[in-house]
Amino acid sequence: MIASAIAGGFVGTLVMTTIIKAAAELGLTRMDLALLLGTSVTENRRKARAFGYIFHFGLGVLFAEAYGEFFQIIGRSSWWIGALLGALQAIFTATVLVNVLLPVVHPRIATSDTAANEIALIEPPGFLMLNYGRRTFLVTLAAHIAFGACVGWIVHL
Amino acid sequence: MRVDGYAPIEDYALVGDGRTAALVAGDGAIDWLCLPNLDSPSVFGAILDAARGGTFELQPSIRFDASRRYLPRTNVLETTFTTDRGSVRVIDAMTIPNERLAPMRELVRSVEGLSGRVPMRWRFAPRFSYGSQAPRCEWRQGVPVGTWNAEAVAIANWDAGTPAWDDGAVAARFEIAAGSRALLAMTTAHAEPLILPGPKAIASRLRDTIAFWQQWSDARQYDGAWAEAVVRSALALKLMIFAPSGAPVAAPTTSLPEEIGGQRNWDYRFCWIRDSNFMIDALLNLGCYAEARSLFWWFMQATALTEPEVHVLYRLDGGIGPTERDLDLSGYRGSRPVRIGNGAIEQAQHDIYGALLETAWLYSKDQHALDADTGAVLARIADNVCAIWRRPDSGIWEVRNGPFHFTHSKVMCWVALDRAARLADLGEVPSRHASRWRHEAAAIRAYVEQECWSDDLNAYTRIAGRADVDASLLMLPIIGYADPGGARIRGTIDAVNRTLRDGDIVYRYHADDGMPGREGCFLNCSFWLVSALARCGRVEEATALMDRLVSRANDVGLYAEEIDPATGAFLGNFPQALVHLALIDAAVALSESRAPLHRRGTP
Repeated sequence: MIASAIAGGFVGTLVMTTIIKAAAELGLTRMDLALLLGTSVTENRRKARAFGYIFHFGLGVLFAEAYGEFFQIIGRSSWWIGALLGALQAIFTATVLVNVLLPVVHPRIATSDTAANEIALIEPPGFLMLNYGRRTFLVTLAAHIAFGACVGWIVHL
Repeated sequence: MRVDGYAPIEDYALVGDGRTAALVAGDGAIDWLCLPNLDSPSVFGAILDAARGGTFELQPSIRFDASRRYLPRTNVLETTFTTDRGSVRVIDAMTIPNERLAPMRELVRSVEGLSGRVPMRWRFAPRFSYGSQAPRCEWRQGVPVGTWNAEAVAIANWDAGTPAWDDGAVAARFEIAAGSRALLAMTTAHAEPLILPGPKAIASRLRDTIAFWQQWSDARQYDGAWAEAVVRSALALKLMIFAPSGAPVAAPTTSLPEEIGGQRNWDYRFCWIRDSNFMIDALLNLGCYAEARSLFWWFMQATALTEPEVHVLYRLDGGIGPTERDLDLSGYRGSRPVRIGNGAIEQAQHDIYGALLETAWLYSKDQHALDADTGAVLARIADNVCAIWRRPDSGIWEVRNGPFHFTHSKVMCWVALDRAARLADLGEVPSRHASRWRHEAAAIRAYVEQECWSDDLNAYTRIAGRADVDASLLMLPIIGYADPGGARIRGTIDAVNRTLRDGDIVYRYHADDGMPGREGCFLNCSFWLVSALARCGRVEEATALMDRLVSRANDVGLYAEEIDPATGAFLGNFPQALVHLALIDAAVALSESRAPLHRRGTP
């Protein structure tokens, strides 16, 4: 189960990243998870994107492990249960994780408490990350559903 | 003075960061900026539609006079506004990122009061996708932000008034006293969150940007005459080289008209193979070795997908297209259509093979070895030239009523085969077909000497069998086709002087080219005339002409593609790389005709 969850997390994150990147290229969103995550540790854009992708894949595997635990508890797994979990995770991500928690721990994302200072500030994501485009939540939802479906499908194999 | 909301083309200066560039008018309005790249859709396009295109104005709110210059040896623009109530200085720059987290693109406008108290106004009106999309007007942390799809622009200000959104634009007024400062910073994002920097970080990047340009200029090696014009041209060209790929645009604009109200309006935001040999020659002459290396390998990579056939132009990322289409914009002073894309992509132009092989020859001659794969590609291109040179083409000027047997195209095919044979002699390209290349080169020469010469004109002709000349024939002595002092070259230069010259400037031809309307005199042809005169020993005549042409630049040393001979106004896309390349070639040719130039750091 652990190995398949890791594999599912890796494949799911790959699919998710591709969907988000494609959506950005299609003009649907300005969300850039690699930049958001990577700039928590460095100001250098190139390094930030490299770190960000590593973080993102690491988080994907961690979430996949949690999905695996859930599948064990309920005693079954499938792509659609994974997709359902992905949808729940998308709501959590958009309302709490990126919107509330990330700005608290991220040294370069602006919050309502931020005054003008000398650190370059990244535009805050806002509720449902709508600051990054009105269709950002739909993109996030689709990407997470695809992630969950991949994890559920691979764990089920 | 604006006419119907449009500033004269010569009233603009260019600022940029190697990825995109903005045109700043003398009255402080930024009327052209594409984001995120030179060939992206415009966000400020008022130069093509004053009402709907989008603009970023910053100027005194009372009557003013303006004078401008680039800060010495930089691409940072300084405009000084003088009013009855005092004077104010504005520094405009697109900053170059440093190690700190910087916006994707950043346009900085720094305001400093010099005397008195001057009332100022600014208005920021972005219009996405070539003026077709008004922004969604928002705020982030007190900063006005305009968004549309994956695009976002923010306009932060410090001590420049209290802005408010109104009808898709942000505007404010403020007063600047002597010794005080204000700052406006436009930050942009494409498919990523905006970065909203603080004033000290912006000021630091502005200082670094000025220092970068000064260091880059100081590293240029040119000890000939007209050094100021040459270095300014080099700086302008650097703004037109798309740093992520190394490819230069022909100009950073589209559809600035060759005739006011006319239809000769083209998109120049592509890389033309035609310009390649001029570009690499200029870069190597000025010691821009890194840029030359990048450019050469970009050409080889871009043409890899299509060789042995080569397209007339490529996108900055090396891709092909897009196809030409018209935009729903009113055009510069009513000059429609406004086009994006370029239909020349579908034309056959045989001169480009000569330009490409000459580029390889110049690059190799400058002690840059070619690898075996590149040599093999160049050999296949030379083989292709043997197969096609007898066919007619659309020629260097991309006529739309062709094809014809253009003399210049035939000569450039000769150049392709001559350089291929020379490279084979050096072992840089496979020599298996070298004898065929020499044989075909001789056949081309025989054709040109027999079919493209007119005894009546005492000149080479524009097209085989015709009886008129074309300024591209000035390339014959420049490219080394014939002895510059020979009777036929002297006769051809005289014929161009006689029939195409209007004062100090030169038309490219007087023939029908399949397009309605007239056009101005071409500045690159005018500088080619200087080069040709210098190479055939008419140095005094060339020097006098060069002096007059250098004085034709606008107040910040830039040139458009053409000049209206009646009014002296600029016409066509601005600034145009080929004109600045021709200026550098003319300056080098004239300086070398007096005394050999030597590159700094070389014996």
